[in-house]
Order: sequence, then C-alpha cells, then structure tokens
Amino acid sequence: MRDHAQQDEDAEINMTPMLDIVFIMLIFFIVTAAFVKEAGIQITKPEAAMSIQKPRTSIIIGISDAGEIWINHKKVDLKSVRPVLERLIAENPRGTVIIQADKDAKAGLTLDVLDAARAAKAAEVAISTRKPS
Amino acid sequence: MRKFAKPEEEAEINMTPMLDIVFIMLIFFIVTASFVKEQGLDIQQPPDAPPPPPDEKKQNIVIRVDNNNQVWIWNDRRRVDIRQVRPNIERLHAAFPEGVVVIQAAPDAKTGVIVQIYDQALAVDKKMGVSVTRYEP
Repeated sequence: MRDHAQQDEDAEINMTPMLDIVFIMLIFFIVTAAFVKEAGIQITKPEAAMSIQKPRTSIIIGISDAGEIWINHKKVDLKSVRPVLERLIAENPRGTVIIQADKDAKAGLTLDVLDAARAAKAAEVAISTRKPS
Repeated sequence: MRKFAKPEEEAEINMTPMLDIVFIMLIFFIVTASFVKEQGLDIQQPPDAPPPPPDEKKQNIVIRVDNNNQVWIWNDRRRVDIRQVRPNIERLHAAFPEGVVVIQAAPDAKTGVIVQIYDQALAVDKKMGVSVTRYEP
C-alpha cells in the first residue's frame, strides 16, 4: 500500500496510447458508417441456397404478403415508389437497393417494384433471401 | 517575431477540448453504426429478347409459373413439381448449353416460388443467365 499512497505528487497518466486507440476506433466507425434506410416491416424472406452477401446496402424496400410497399418506415403507393427511390438514391448513388419481398407476395408486384428501382437508376438491385436452415 | 522565437521552453497544448470532441464523435458513430448484412440474389434484367432463335443450341429454357403457383417447363409444355425443376433445368441445360433460363411469372404467382426456381437454376450452374419476365395468362 505504501506505493499507492503517494499519488497526488505529480502522477500524470500518459494519455498517448489511449488517444491512439480512440482515434483508430473513431476512424473505423466513420469508415464503416452506412446509413441504411430500413423498410420498417417484418417479412418472411424466401429461402435460397445460392444467395450471396450484398455489400453496400443502402435502401431496403419491403413488400408484405398483403401487397403493401414500405420504404424508409413509410408505406408507399406503387406509383410513388419511383420518385421516393430517386430521392433516396440521390443521397447515396452507389448503394445497393435490396427488395425484401415476402415469400407470399405477388410476383407481379415484386417485378413492378424491381422495374421502378431500375427506372430510378439504382446501381444494383437484389432480392433479399435467407440461407435455408 | 521576437514573441514566437522561443517555443522549446514548455509549450504544452491543452488537449482536453479536442479529446471531448473526439469522444463525442466516437460515441455518435458507435451509436449510429448499423451492420446490415443482407443476403440476396441479383435479379437480372430480362434480355431485350429476340424470340428464341431457330438455332438448336441457343434455345432458352423457359419456365412458367402460373397464377396458381404451378410450374411449367414451357419447352415441353409440361407441368412439374417444384422439386423437379432442378433436374429438368439440368437436362435442358445439357441439351441447350448456350441458352439462358427465362422465368415467366404470372402476376399472382408467389415471389417465393420465383426465388426458389431462380435459386435452383443458379444451383445447376453458377454462371447461368437467369431472367424474370411477366406474362399475361
């Protein structure tokens, strides 16, 4: 205990290593920061074994089994999908647009949304799936 | 200039304000960090398709899903079970190695069925060209 008793003399902690770590963490989080626009609904994804991980997800479009389209936590009409997407794509032009279609959603609607995303000049469009368990 | 001439004495910068800012930025980016990992299938644009050319080897493999989610191998005009799609694609792919798979989806077909067929076509050959189009029954 004698050692610790004389702390208040001029015990200065060397801050440099901590600063290094904090800066590296800061840079890491800045670089990985991806502001994803989530759909805002829960859907049951279809299964696909051949699916691949999509990097740079930026916008997620949800299509429920009842035929509702959700973008950025808001329900969207099919006709306004394209303008809404154009606005969001302008914020992040290189991101991937992911369509989360429920496995019971109608294929016609899914294809309509796919066409709208392409018309809005999305860099990449993919249908969200999950690995079969 | 006289004032700036003796910097080696004990010039210590006060780091505290910078540290405050850095910590606040760090906390902000940690809180907003979202690591979204999405699995997905790239759905390709349907080719601006010339109708299937007469060339035997380049015939496309056409699979049709009707409004009742029944799957047809349209090359043979034959209805098959969803589990039989992969062997059928394998057979047709061997017969028409340069053909692509075209999935024709009826508007009321389920997305899950389309994705399943897409997946099975890719399982036959990873580089298989697959496109999804609509058809009006």
